[in-house]
Amino acid sequence: MDRALKRVTLAILVMFLLLLLNTNYLQAFEANSLTTKPENDRASAEQSQIQRGDIKTSDGVTIAASKPSGPNGTYKYQRYYSDGPVYSPVTGYDTLYGTQTGVENSESDLLSGSGQQLALRNFLDQITNKAQKGATVQTTINSKAQQAAYKGLASVLQGSGHSGGLVAMDPSTGKILAMASYPSYNPNALASQNGVEVNKADQALQAQNPSPLINNATSALLPPGSTFKIVTSSAWFTEHSDQNANSEAQSPTVLTLPQTTDKLHNDQNEQCGDGSGKATLIYAFAQSCDTTFGNLGMQIGGTNLQSEAEKFGMNKPMDVPGLSAATSSYSVPNSPPLTAFSAIGQFSDTATPLQEAMFASAVANNGTLMRPYLVQQATASDLSVVQSTPPQVLSAAVSPTVDNNLKQMMTAVMQQPEGTGYQFNKNNEGGLAIAGKTGTAQNAMNGVSSAPDAVFTSYAPADSTPKIAVGVMIQGGGYGATAAAPIAVSVEKAYLAAVGQG
Amino acid sequence: MIALAIGVVAFAFVNVALSLKDQGFGSLAIYVVIYAVISVIVHLVVRRWAPYADPLLVPLALLLNGLGLAMLYRLIQAGRNGNPGPTYTNHGVSHIGPIGTLTSSDMSKQFLFTLVGIACLTVFLIYVKEPRMMQRYTYLFGLIGVILFALPTVWPGSEVQGAKIQITIPGLGSIQPAEFGKLFLALSFAGYLVAKRDVLSLAGKRVLGIDLPRGRDLGPIMAMWVLTMLLLVFESDIGTSAVFMGLFVSMIYIATGRNSWLLIGVGMFLIGGISAALLIPHVGVRFSIWLNTFTPYNVDHNAYQLAQGLYGMGAGGVLGKGFGGGQPWWTPLVQSDFVITGFGEELGLVGVMAILLIYGLIVQRGLRTALMVKDPFSKLLAGGLSFMLALQVFVIVGGSTRLIPETGITTPFLAQGGASLIGSWIMIAILVRLSDTARRPAPKPIQDEGLTQVVSLK
Repeated sequence: MDRALKRVTLAILVMFLLLLLNTNYLQAFEANSLTTKPENDRASAEQSQIQRGDIKTSDGVTIAASKPSGPNGTYKYQRYYSDGPVYSPVTGYDTLYGTQTGVENSESDLLSGSGQQLALRNFLDQITNKAQKGATVQTTINSKAQQAAYKGLASVLQGSGHSGGLVAMDPSTGKILAMASYPSYNPNALASQNGVEVNKADQALQAQNPSPLINNATSALLPPGSTFKIVTSSAWFTEHSDQNANSEAQSPTVLTLPQTTDKLHNDQNEQCGDGSGKATLIYAFAQSCDTTFGNLGMQIGGTNLQSEAEKFGMNKPMDVPGLSAATSSYSVPNSPPLTAFSAIGQFSDTATPLQEAMFASAVANNGTLMRPYLVQQATASDLSVVQSTPPQVLSAAVSPTVDNNLKQMMTAVMQQPEGTGYQFNKNNEGGLAIAGKTGTAQNAMNGVSSAPDAVFTSYAPADSTPKIAVGVMIQGGGYGATAAAPIAVSVEKAYLAAVGQG
Repeated sequence: MIALAIGVVAFAFVNVALSLKDQGFGSLAIYVVIYAVISVIVHLVVRRWAPYADPLLVPLALLLNGLGLAMLYRLIQAGRNGNPGPTYTNHGVSHIGPIGTLTSSDMSKQFLFTLVGIACLTVFLIYVKEPRMMQRYTYLFGLIGVILFALPTVWPGSEVQGAKIQITIPGLGSIQPAEFGKLFLALSFAGYLVAKRDVLSLAGKRVLGIDLPRGRDLGPIMAMWVLTMLLLVFESDIGTSAVFMGLFVSMIYIATGRNSWLLIGVGMFLIGGISAALLIPHVGVRFSIWLNTFTPYNVDHNAYQLAQGLYGMGAGGVLGKGFGGGQPWWTPLVQSDFVITGFGEELGLVGVMAILLIYGLIVQRGLRTALMVKDPFSKLLAGGLSFMLALQVFVIVGGSTRLIPETGITTPFLAQGGASLIGSWIMIAILVRLSDTARRPAPKPIQDEGLTQVVSLK
């Protein structure tokens, strides 16, 4: 019997050995591959066991917060977004299943408290038995400007079936003051703890056209139209230092293009200026004469136009934490007629509302373009700053002398009777001095019969140090002056009133 | 040893309370005190009624029982227990069904079951002074065992997750009678085999180098096999039938020392098991999810529990998330069948290995008792019970860590559930009594018979 017992003991030993080997294999060797399996929800759910930090505007409005979800919640905390559709381009959303966008995505490490910068603090919280909380992320957004921007876009675009976006920047720092997109969505629906509801909401959003999930402020690429004349003018003045805003330039009613039978007309086949075939640059800019700038463009050449465009930030991926920005582009045309079209923001030129804001921002800041940024700083639960973004120069777009000419011309657009923005500006109550450039771009994407895209880039105040630069693009909105400019101005007014300069 | 067990368990409780920061210490203190009192009572009972018993058996069992209570406490404090699995299929978005909740009444119940288990141990030690007393009721025990096994098939409304292993008694909750049945059957086997071991081990002829038993002696093993297969067919319970067959085969092997019994037993079980896997859908599914756990369909359906358990083990890694730091509630039934994955997640590889070693130590003490004890009935019983415990740990831990196909049997001492805990304590009671007998010093001679004559070898 004892011999058999010893054999049984041996069998038992083998069984335990197998168990030990298997758990060793699972927990020491397989642990990583198990944790990273796509169906494994534990990792993403782990984050919701810690109270995620708030997202705030620069003026202290909380736009995303996590609150205890109470006894019936699957997770400990529930994410809430206030004014969801208004702020969704900024906050993005954070689902409990690992999908994130916007600041929720770019600052996820800080918000969830897992970032390197928070390691020491987490450790201290642990030993002092304090509940761990993610860092509060403060954006550069101004709540008043943001509200005005969304309201403006919604008033123009509601029911139109088109989309539009707006970006407002502080020209001297690059802070993004407003970033609105239409159509928008409510991120609260995607933050639900109920997977069925999240899926339903997600599918409903996916089914809409245009998609509310696209951040039009930074991702929608539309032709910049006449706003690109800022770049053409810059290139011209930089090349010809003897020229200024009051220099005269060829401004025919119809520009005959070489190598083709096509001709370049002005809008509505209008004559430029007095019909003499010549006009000052400031006049041609204010009236937005396509013939003048098409002609200048052919003289400057595609390569030089491209290098100037790149100084304004085009053709370069915009690497801004918190936004997934599309790259605005200017490509060198292979023939003079196409160069003429490219100089007036047509051909294959594309820009985002962010790029439009950067045009005005560079001009407003004496020719120096600041790098746009969305995240101001992150503060830990004890209010100590764990990360902050300093302003940075992106590029020296034009010299201050050249910039002075551009400022005069952009002011003329709004304030001279021939200016495309004059009619609108005349009715503009409040007497705010605004500089800007309208754009009304034919967009083949909209179909032949539909209205052109409305574009407007501007800054204010034009009579003292500019505080805000705004770019707006409304797909199928019609004239830049009528569809886009009022929104930009309402944002500028809201912001300047908020900072005490209205 | 008892103090160590109390210390470890108290530490586990405090750890949970600290990790889940919002929880108070009020209920914690009560639980730790109750546990300490229970531990001291068991210690005194054993000192009084089984003074020579193995000093490790009871503290080890108490330690496991306490860790199980701490895990239950931890799940209750988190407000969640194992989620019942996906209630819908939704790839890529969510797998979460409604969250079931354990309440503090489950904690009280588990303490009550612990107390009942301790009470059973006490009663057993007081009334069963001599293990051989149990040998008298071989056939009665056998009958009781079979009845207990068969009970769920006839009891109304007993099917849980495809297997019929529970009976629900109104007002008392549900219990698994097989937990007691296997103890009765172990006693019955021991009695029967001791009586028949000579004929079973000697008679028969030799074929191909193997001593085959006589055809008529195959009766009992056939009967057990049939019973096992009936278990499989009517209760769809692979785990219990494997443990049950393993118990019988190991005991017949220990009793006879004949390899042929081993071959016949294992062979018959394999034949039965494989045909069951092919014929009974519920059993077949268990095999298929074992082989293909992570296929997109399985991972959301039948293999959800297994996969979640494995994720838990993976999340724990070597050192674990700390007691109260993981998310064991993802795994359905983490408070009972899959409790080891909960420990794997929170205590890590180190914790799981420690728990396995504790089981290993209990088994080793049981086997040591079997070797030490003189009388064949006790030897057989101790060996059989030890092997059964080892097999049960192997089947459930191996099942939930994907070493072998998953089967729903309980984890002794650690799992929530009354029958398993009480049954495990009765098993410890039997082992304590056996080891007490084995280690009891020989009675002192009544008269002084004088010194034995010393023979000089020079």
